[in-house]
Amino acid sequence: MADDFYLRYYVGHKGKFGHEFLEFEFNKDGRLRYANNSNYKNDEIITREVYVGQSVIQELKRIVEDSEILKEDDNNWPAPDRVGRQELEVIQGGQHISFTCTKLGSVLQVQNSKDPDGLRIFYYLVQDIKCFVFSLISAHFKIQPIQK
Amino acid sequence: MADDEMAHDERDERMDAGDMKRKGRGHRDATEWADRYGGARFKELDPNAKPGPTASVEGWVVFITGINEEAQEEDIHEAFAEFGEVKNIYMNLDRQTGFVKGYALVEYKNHKEAQTAINEMNGKELLTQTIQVDWAFKKPQRRR
Repeated sequence: MADDFYLRYYVGHKGKFGHEFLEFEFNKDGRLRYANNSNYKNDEIITREVYVGQSVIQELKRIVEDSEILKEDDNNWPAPDRVGRQELEVIQGGQHISFTCTKLGSVLQVQNSKDPDGLRIFYYLVQDIKCFVFSLISAHFKIQPIQK
Repeated sequence: MADDEMAHDERDERMDAGDMKRKGRGHRDATEWADRYGGARFKELDPNAKPGPTASVEGWVVFITGINEEAQEEDIHEAFAEFGEVKNIYMNLDRQTGFVKGYALVEYKNHKEAQTAINEMNGKELLTQTIQVDWAFKKPQRRR
């Protein structure tokens, strides 16, 4: 159990273009699944899958561990709302976190929240792992992820 | 069994594991994978690829870790161009500190160039730090 690993991130909202979202997940075997759904101009959902090597999984685990996100809790974070929803689910080191939050527009919103220290960790970790995944997806598939 | 159903089952299984320390509102207010994907399949470049290193659209990609936080892209290029033409480098920065996060992806055209880079550079020192070099994309031996 202690070496179990899983990571999933989702960000999305429901608006005039329907349900638009970005989501990716890694399992411990290295399977990376990536989805990007933008209905703008009738774009179709993009779904891709590739296996990454164990060194990629180890690096992702290091990034999560160094962030200390597993010590945080989402109790006092702004809840998902009409603006949008983020979900971060991680299984690592015998812990299973499943955090939710609204979309965060800026670091100012983080500073003015009820839990600026915890939310800041979430805010930067999410950016770091999005970069990580975008580089992997770009390098392998040569598609440009849509940044929302 | 379709891929998306498989993913869903795995998730349910994880949720049932009782010896895990759980935290977060997402456990109480979970969203449904099936709602988002229905029958959509996740497309691999080559679903029939055998276990082992996987080719990318335009070449073969190696993954480097242990990179010095003050490294520049040119440092990586200089060290890795020795084994073949480097088609692309992806090296990200820590979004909070602005320093190099510690990993990079380097793309070669051929399998042989990438394999040589892995053989020659894994465990070597670069800017006073030992780096690890391996395939970025690799199918595991056992598929479940």
